[in-house]
Amino acid sequence: MAELKHWYMVCYDIRDPKRWRKAYRLLEGYGERLQYSIFRCWLSQRDRERLRWELEKVLAAEDSLLLVGMCDRCVQRIPSYNRPESWQVRGDRFRIL
Amino acid sequence: MVMMADPIARQDSVRVSALHALAYCPRLFYLEEVEELYTQDAAVFAGRRLHVELEQQEDAQWQDLYLESEDLGLRGRLDALRTRSGQLIPYEHKRGRAHRDEANQPQAWDSDRLQILAYACLIESALGTPVAEGRIRYHADNVVVHVPLTDAGRAEVRQAIAAARALRQSDLRPPVTVNERLCARCSLAPVCLPEEARLAHDREWEPVRLFPADDDRQVVHVLEPGSRVGRTGEQLKVARLNQPVELFPIRQVAQVVLHSYAQISTQALHFCADQGVGVHFISGGGRYLGSFDTRQGSIQRRIRQYQALTDGAVCLRLAQRLVMCRGQGQRKFLMRGQRSASPAVQAALKPTIAQMQAVLKQVDRADSLATLLGLEGKLAALYFGALPLLIGEKVPPELRFDGRNRRPPKDRFNALLSFGYALVFKDVMNGILTVGLEPALGFYHQPRSQAAPLALDLLEIFRVPLVDMTVMASVNRGQWDVAADFEVRGPQVWLSEVGRHKFVELYERRKEETWKHPKLGYALSYRRWFELEVRLLEKEWMGEGGLFAQLVLR
Repeated sequence: MAELKHWYMVCYDIRDPKRWRKAYRLLEGYGERLQYSIFRCWLSQRDRERLRWELEKVLAAEDSLLLVGMCDRCVQRIPSYNRPESWQVRGDRFRIL
Repeated sequence: MVMMADPIARQDSVRVSALHALAYCPRLFYLEEVEELYTQDAAVFAGRRLHVELEQQEDAQWQDLYLESEDLGLRGRLDALRTRSGQLIPYEHKRGRAHRDEANQPQAWDSDRLQILAYACLIESALGTPVAEGRIRYHADNVVVHVPLTDAGRAEVRQAIAAARALRQSDLRPPVTVNERLCARCSLAPVCLPEEARLAHDREWEPVRLFPADDDRQVVHVLEPGSRVGRTGEQLKVARLNQPVELFPIRQVAQVVLHSYAQISTQALHFCADQGVGVHFISGGGRYLGSFDTRQGSIQRRIRQYQALTDGAVCLRLAQRLVMCRGQGQRKFLMRGQRSASPAVQAALKPTIAQMQAVLKQVDRADSLATLLGLEGKLAALYFGALPLLIGEKVPPELRFDGRNRRPPKDRFNALLSFGYALVFKDVMNGILTVGLEPALGFYHQPRSQAAPLALDLLEIFRVPLVDMTVMASVNRGQWDVAADFEVRGPQVWLSEVGRHKFVELYERRKEETWKHPKLGYALSYRRWFELEVRLLEKEWMGEGGLFAQLVLR
């Protein structure tokens, strides 16, 4: 079982501030906020399903949620048509503070 | 309609989902139920999400209930129970596809069939109403499979329960299943290591790598005194003096390493424990202090370790392997240095390398741990006697050394080695705790205060490739500033804060490099290797041995 990881954009529209807050906090544990209501997360399939399950417990039927998985090629192409700061990746597996 | 049972009976009964695991693979059942290892994979979460969605869709119709039958010795939570023309029918929802028979008709998978039969029997027994059939709905191809409950089915369930109970009492971990395709979809493959187990029995086997190649979560080192680690929401927060706050999503953190006097809040400790993040403490002098880690393995695992490692013969055999592994590593490292050295140095190294070979030949014949300690001492003396020869000509005299000394280190080179060994010790401990073995019971080192013998044992494998080579290379590249990176206090030499920062970086970079395992034949990062080596060690006494401590540099 290879734990391949991919980038996912997680976009949501949540109609209730309380649920919004919950979902926002949850997503902060998984990835990084790019814009209001748009996160990017580096996830394995396992993480992705776990996130979907956890989000499903928070969201109501009227809310919307969109996960977009991106292949390596998609991610490589991003800098070519965006502002340089819009997709910066720190590949480090350690941090020294 | 919830039946509660007293705790004793609860322990004794078998969960229906465990029967599902048993029908899939007895080893999976054993790892989950006896060794208490759970790693939820994508399918588990997808299944749970399906259930949440179903609950939202049909909240009125939905009922789920816990049932337990003392008579059968079975308990479980039903997905749904519906009444159809006066008959009670249990439903089970599956996310995947149904099995197709030769006529391409949808059928239940064996493990699913046993599960639904078990639910049907459970209802009959606990509620006292007869059940004619159970139904499984496969969502991927949207079919419902009817499974009639016959006397043969009832007998099958009883048999499975008896088998499950027998296996629960057993000390023997069942062998890896013959059907490899089951392993490819199994959530426990990274801990079961089925491919490696097959290799242990069959040297011709070519392992397909199944487990994750690397753990790419971050290791966070907090070096600055006065830093505070806390929690905010689902993130770890590191606040330093006069610096912006750093936030880390918890699922991207593997370890938090606190050097010297960084603070961590109780909230953050609880959070790390909850998420399986290791918290390790290293003193300002670079000594490993301990860890806060609640990932204790199941008692079954530890009992097997106690049984194996109280046997002198097993300990001796493992210790021989270990001394061999380290000794060969040391010798190969000198040989590497020889290749690029000047003729004078080559000539000086030659006798040491030959002597080491002669000592290594005696390792297999050693008949006690004391003899092995003697041999290891000889190897170490030869190695550290020759190691200074590998230092390049341009290296300043302050960074040279003539032999290993420690507690405290008396020169800069030894200070680097000591700090490096502390970092490796920390990672070895993390590996042991992740796998769930007892660090205090080793096979070679004798217990002494502070250091856990099993971690000291495993440390031997990693010293040369992760520390000695890293230190030697960095010294020869001139990466050290003899004044700023060290603190000399009389005869004692420590790394300064800048020096520690530099070293941690070098060490972590080294851990990211990959190598090809000589026996397993696949490549993995040094970082991933800590945990793998502990799992391979555990296999030594689980009847799948022969793969532990096989790393030799080329």
